[in-house]
Amino acid sequence: MKRHLTVEDLARDNRFVRVNMEDRMNDPRNVGGPGAYGRDAAEKADDEGGRRGRMGLGRMTPDAPNAPDAARSLMHGIFVGEIQALEGAGRTCYDFDLGENADQVPYALKLDMARQCWDEARHCEISVKLTEWMGTEIGEFTESPFLFQAACNPDALLRLAGVNRALEGLAIDVFNTMRTFGDKAGDPVLEFCEDWMLADEVTHVKMGSDWLRKLTVNDPERRARALEFQSVVDKLFSLGGGRSDDEDSPIRLARRFRQMAGFTDDEIDEIAGLSREAREEAEARVAARRMAATGSGNTTPAD
Amino acid sequence: MGNVTVTPEQFTLVFFEADRIRERAAEIAAEVGLVADIHIEVDESSPVGRVRVRSVEPIEIWAQGGAFEEPKRPRHLSERNLVEALGRLLFRVKDRQDPGFAEAPPDEELSLQQQNIWDTYALGRLARAGFEVAKPRWLYHFRTRQGFTDVSDAAFARLWAADGLTWADLEAIRAETEQARTAA
Repeated sequence: MKRHLTVEDLARDNRFVRVNMEDRMNDPRNVGGPGAYGRDAAEKADDEGGRRGRMGLGRMTPDAPNAPDAARSLMHGIFVGEIQALEGAGRTCYDFDLGENADQVPYALKLDMARQCWDEARHCEISVKLTEWMGTEIGEFTESPFLFQAACNPDALLRLAGVNRALEGLAIDVFNTMRTFGDKAGDPVLEFCEDWMLADEVTHVKMGSDWLRKLTVNDPERRARALEFQSVVDKLFSLGGGRSDDEDSPIRLARRFRQMAGFTDDEIDEIAGLSREAREEAEARVAARRMAATGSGNTTPAD
Repeated sequence: MGNVTVTPEQFTLVFFEADRIRERAAEIAAEVGLVADIHIEVDESSPVGRVRVRSVEPIEIWAQGGAFEEPKRPRHLSERNLVEALGRLLFRVKDRQDPGFAEAPPDEELSLQQQNIWDTYALGRLARAGFEVAKPRWLYHFRTRQGFTDVSDAAFARLWAADGLTWADLEAIRAETEQARTAA
């Protein structure tokens, strides 16, 4: 059987449509052009409300104008992430020989990955049922393959840093946020599903933290590379700074659960810092593009 | 039957066709029973999905491009989302011409619950007229707004099958779901 599959090798039926990050970045509407805000204050408020709901520039709350669809879209994203997490952990079981060298993995790591496969398969089943509950069709929204892309790294340790520590860490933040959303909306199914999946995610992140320390105990250079890869993934997928410590951020950093998953306070602070950087860079990009589009440096929507 | 106009005529940021939007709007308007001219302004620069009736006389609809967009094919038109967005608004415009809706507050003063109940009533009629409507999606919207209760589900079923309601009827249903939500 082939080792080291690419995203293109993954099996999907025709319900799924993949959109990669390049396509998203090249969407000309992301510039927030001159027409992005309406002509009057009411439309501005309306628009901002919609953005908070769907685009992730404000807190995910049930009373946001577009909250139901924002929740449906986000949970569909989680669903396809679960499929990719299953595929990624499965590949890590198979792609590497047993051994102590850098291109090999210990048997216990494979066992952890096998356990994660079991969890992710269960999460897929939960997500399918949750999707149906939320009135969403499988494949209704696009699939971003970024989780599996992080699981394509030829170094198993970097896979764990990118997937288990960075992306499953993001999943902790998302599940915690959506559990709160379910609670506030009075949706018992959403709240219950998130709570159960959150518990598993903490374990998956802890696996990443534990293996990172074990495998690099005598190899600081490899540890540095793994942490650097994790930082890149953390920043790239901080939702343009939308995942942060800020009260109004759509996805809040779940500090307590991250501590339980083996993150130190300094590491959590670093992730918060990366999110801030990502947010500032995103805002600067939008401002620059608006200026180019309107010929004006004023980035405040007209009242 | 009045004229339907769409701006922009040529979309440059998304792959929408003004003719298609015009056709579907005309079909829905005919079904709803609106005979006046309709103007639809699409803000193609926004992927967000807000829509509003900007004016009832003349009828002017404003929509952000995301409202008509196919969620799995960014920047492409979704027939279903287009129909659902326009159907909700055009039924509301038609309802406002009915004396039974004289007491309804202006759109900008509708609460999320009021708007949601009115949308559900419109979407049920749209579905019965043969247009494709994602009923499970709107049930989730309804539950999020009106509560995850048996009373709310029963209210949704009644609204979806209803015709000839007045603003007072919609308000009575809202009060009913609110009471159940508060008690839950």
